[in-house]
Amino acid sequence: MAFNFNWSPLTADAGFYERARDLLTTALNKSPKPPIIVDDIFVTEFNLGSVPPDLEILEIGDLAEDRFRGIFKMCYSGDAFLTLATRVQANPLNTYISAKPSFTSPEPLTASSSLTIPLQITLSEIKLSAFIILVFSKQKGLTIVFRNDPLESLKVSSTFDSIQFVRDYLQKTIEAKLRDLIMDELPAIIHRLSLQLWCPDQVQKEDEEAKEESDAAVNPLATPPLDAVDAHGHRLDPVEISSLSLDGGPETQSLFSQKNLEKMDALANAHRTSSLITPNILEVVFRAWAGQSDKADATATPSASTPNLHRTSSYLGSPHTYTFSDNSSQASGHAPSRPTLVSMGSATTGLSLGSGRHSKAGRKKKMRVVNLRSKTPASEPVSEVGSTSSQAGDSSSEAASTRTPMSEPVIPTTIREAPEDDLVASQSKVRFRPAADATTSPKASDSSGSRAAVPSVPVTAQPSRVASPQEHVYTRQPSMFPSNPAPQTPAQEMPPSYSSRVSEKAETTAPIYADAKAQQQQQQQWGRAGPQPDMSSVILEQAWITKIAGEIARRVYDEKNRNPAFWEDSHQHDIPPPAYEPR
Amino acid sequence: MREFMNYITNAFYGATGWNEDNKYNELNATSRDLIDFPLPRGLRLTLSSLATPHFATSYQLGSVGVVDGSISYLHSSIPLTHIAAQSDKIPLPALLRCYRRLHDLRSPGQHYMLDADPLSAQSAQALLGAVSDTSLANGTLVGGNTGQDPSKYTHSLLYGRLYLPKSLLEGMVIKRFTQALQVQVRAVSEQSLRNGGTMLGLVQYDKGKYGLEGLYSTDGGLLGFRGLYNFGGDASSSNYDPWTTAAGEINNNANTGNGQAVEKERIYGRFSVGGELYYGTLNKSGGMSLGARFATLPAHRGTPLTATLTINPLMGNINATYALLAREYCSLATRVEFNVYSYESEWAVGMELWSNRRPAGFLLGASPSNDPAEPAPQPPKKKERSFQAKMEWRLDDPEPELEPTTAPPKSETDNKEQKNDEYKGVLKARLDNNLRIGLLWEGRAKSLIFSLGTGIDLHKLGEPFRSLGLEVQYSS
Repeated sequence: MAFNFNWSPLTADAGFYERARDLLTTALNKSPKPPIIVDDIFVTEFNLGSVPPDLEILEIGDLAEDRFRGIFKMCYSGDAFLTLATRVQANPLNTYISAKPSFTSPEPLTASSSLTIPLQITLSEIKLSAFIILVFSKQKGLTIVFRNDPLESLKVSSTFDSIQFVRDYLQKTIEAKLRDLIMDELPAIIHRLSLQLWCPDQVQKEDEEAKEESDAAVNPLATPPLDAVDAHGHRLDPVEISSLSLDGGPETQSLFSQKNLEKMDALANAHRTSSLITPNILEVVFRAWAGQSDKADATATPSASTPNLHRTSSYLGSPHTYTFSDNSSQASGHAPSRPTLVSMGSATTGLSLGSGRHSKAGRKKKMRVVNLRSKTPASEPVSEVGSTSSQAGDSSSEAASTRTPMSEPVIPTTIREAPEDDLVASQSKVRFRPAADATTSPKASDSSGSRAAVPSVPVTAQPSRVASPQEHVYTRQPSMFPSNPAPQTPAQEMPPSYSSRVSEKAETTAPIYADAKAQQQQQQQWGRAGPQPDMSSVILEQAWITKIAGEIARRVYDEKNRNPAFWEDSHQHDIPPPAYEPR
Repeated sequence: MREFMNYITNAFYGATGWNEDNKYNELNATSRDLIDFPLPRGLRLTLSSLATPHFATSYQLGSVGVVDGSISYLHSSIPLTHIAAQSDKIPLPALLRCYRRLHDLRSPGQHYMLDADPLSAQSAQALLGAVSDTSLANGTLVGGNTGQDPSKYTHSLLYGRLYLPKSLLEGMVIKRFTQALQVQVRAVSEQSLRNGGTMLGLVQYDKGKYGLEGLYSTDGGLLGFRGLYNFGGDASSSNYDPWTTAAGEINNNANTGNGQAVEKERIYGRFSVGGELYYGTLNKSGGMSLGARFATLPAHRGTPLTATLTINPLMGNINATYALLAREYCSLATRVEFNVYSYESEWAVGMELWSNRRPAGFLLGASPSNDPAEPAPQPPKKKERSFQAKMEWRLDDPEPELEPTTAPPKSETDNKEQKNDEYKGVLKARLDNNLRIGLLWEGRAKSLIFSLGTGIDLHKLGEPFRSLGLEVQYSS
């Protein structure tokens, strides 16, 4: 395992300093200033210097493509500097008068005349030594917490350096202020900056992601998990996942909107607390739904082969659906925090399908309901679904229903190897940037036409999701749970209320499946896709998948039961081990 | 527009014979009024009343986005019978003060004692709104200053004001102890202030030739000292002594009157120099400034002018103002500021223009009686008299030696007064180096005194109107 911390891109990127200056300026001018400062505080110069900080990794608590949690020890004594400029009121009587009610003002004649002096303060020779807890997640950006006071010393030089007591005063005051700034403001600034960088609507500027920690950061949509799940831990069809893209239509935007995420979160919490009131999500937008339209954009393959890709991903998706329905319910609590996306590298191609995208989006709403009903007999874990989705009955929609039997059993035989291979692959290496280079070649190969090769795409190219749940469950659970955000917990606490939960989830998954089928139908309607996979393998496939799923579920459950205390303990451990407490 | 309570307070000063302008912080009051006049914001309605000669109330309702208001009460121990409190009778110049003529260094009481006819003096004072007590004048006339009953001066004024939504309370006590000593205590109570409020104490000592003032503010423990010394003009007369007996005074004035009659041909005015010093005992900071002023006395025949120069040696600030009364209806002022340390400079010009047309000054329809009379007479003589009248409006008293010169056309002066009383409005304007324009139109419509003002920023021509406001005041 190797980390590549790149310091120079920060300095190479001209836009970065501009942004950082703006953010610092706004942060400094945010709070009301004392009357002695008569002008805004401007950050005129800001340079991180060429000397990188010494970074010592003390612990890595969680590691995934879209998440990172670790503790660092950072020492810095570089040549970074920061210059602030403002104007101060030099007449103490003026500031005194300005802050007083006019009725009791002594009304001096000109003793309070103003004398504003431009003041320039340069902070340099900054020496830092800090324990940093760094938590990164695609959805929540980058969070940095300092466990101790990071500022060791700095040099303050100002316009008034020639006056000794002013210099001393400034040095003292600014040091104190800077401690506050680093402890309180800087994490907020970095968080905001990271949100700007990774916020879904701005991810297109991927080249700007050159941040020290962003080596672990990739386009969340570029590296899709094999076992994508939605916010409730439900399996998503890779058809939908693959169609997720960041530059999609309005649905995609709403998918990633904070409001919806919050509502999802609230919904999940409602399950956990048995709350009677669940948030009313008016226009229910699930990832699968929104993603479908953008599949083409997410693929890195040549545009000519996109129809094939659509279908192949649908092949992949179905088997994993069954696997996961057990898996997630037991152990893979972390899954919801991951973006459930197919690895498609940089979103470059797919223009050919771009035109058809929105028309599909329009039809999806109807189809997902219709397809649900016809599908339910085929998929046994989802069989509960049929009962819950009562609206499926009254939804008699157009052409979609006719095709559903065919689109349902799309399960290639090669899927069988997927879990094992994925397990091996993902355990062997942790890659931060697998998307662009790794996925393209398999895609290219699968675009050549062999259907058998298609399922192998996720196995080789994508650090898989089917594997990663197991991996997390068996090896990394302890360190993973502390970092788990809130929405994950419902999945962990699944067993007690399993049946009711499943029905809940079934509701949410129903549209997903419908979408998947709608997607497939459209492909078929386009006529470019080949014939449906042979029906003969379907039964066999399903049986095998069920078996595998059961096995996995059982193992997870056993593991959980074997030492329950550990699970609960680790759940509560949010603070690092005492060894990493600041000294 | 001066607030009604301010007007009443000035009336109290006038009634007790206190010269409120003989202070250092009033050194450049003329140019300050001409340039830094406050612009009304939003809509403001004031209802005031001098219910009894001792008691005045004022209610104010304003709206600048939010509705606010204030209630104020004032009690004076001396009856304020001689002033016109009704808004249809208040002389506008007294309320919409502009160019401020120098007061005489002696108290009005001593002054009017020289007037042959006390009644006429009193009527003039009543018009002015800044007047001496009749009994005071009589006492001075009879007994002279030294033998005067000190109780004549021991008057007091109480004032309180409550701003309603803010729950801000203002209080003021003015207590006169002797003829030369007066103490003011002001306090503000508000929750947001540190310690819940502040108090300011002022001890004022006015000896005519010089005026001293000491102050203490509870906020920061600020101690201050201000002083003003007058010389030249009437103050430099060798035998000048403001507190001599009445008889001596008359003789002196008669003597100096001859000398001044000669001097009046040249430029004739009074010099004042002063300084201020502050020290905050709690925050260990201070400030100071020095200033000088030259202002023509009312006896001056030429154009009245006021020039001041103030220096703040600590902050390197130099401030020079120049104001003049170009015509009786027009005053101009300029101000230049320069800081020798920061090289920052500012300038500002101000102007006020009085009009006697109706309605309320500048709108169409000149009153027929005034217009033909105004331009006809020979200019120099008229000008002189108009100044005289002006001076009287401003609480100024005619120089005793002027008496013979103005004696023949006395009736004409009265006519002038009446004519000037028909001023219906005033337009004030200012412009500073940031190209900000302030416009204020004040006047009387029926029995309402209104003030309409706007601030214009020429730098932002897209939306030049920075503020707009209308104040309406009615008093009875």
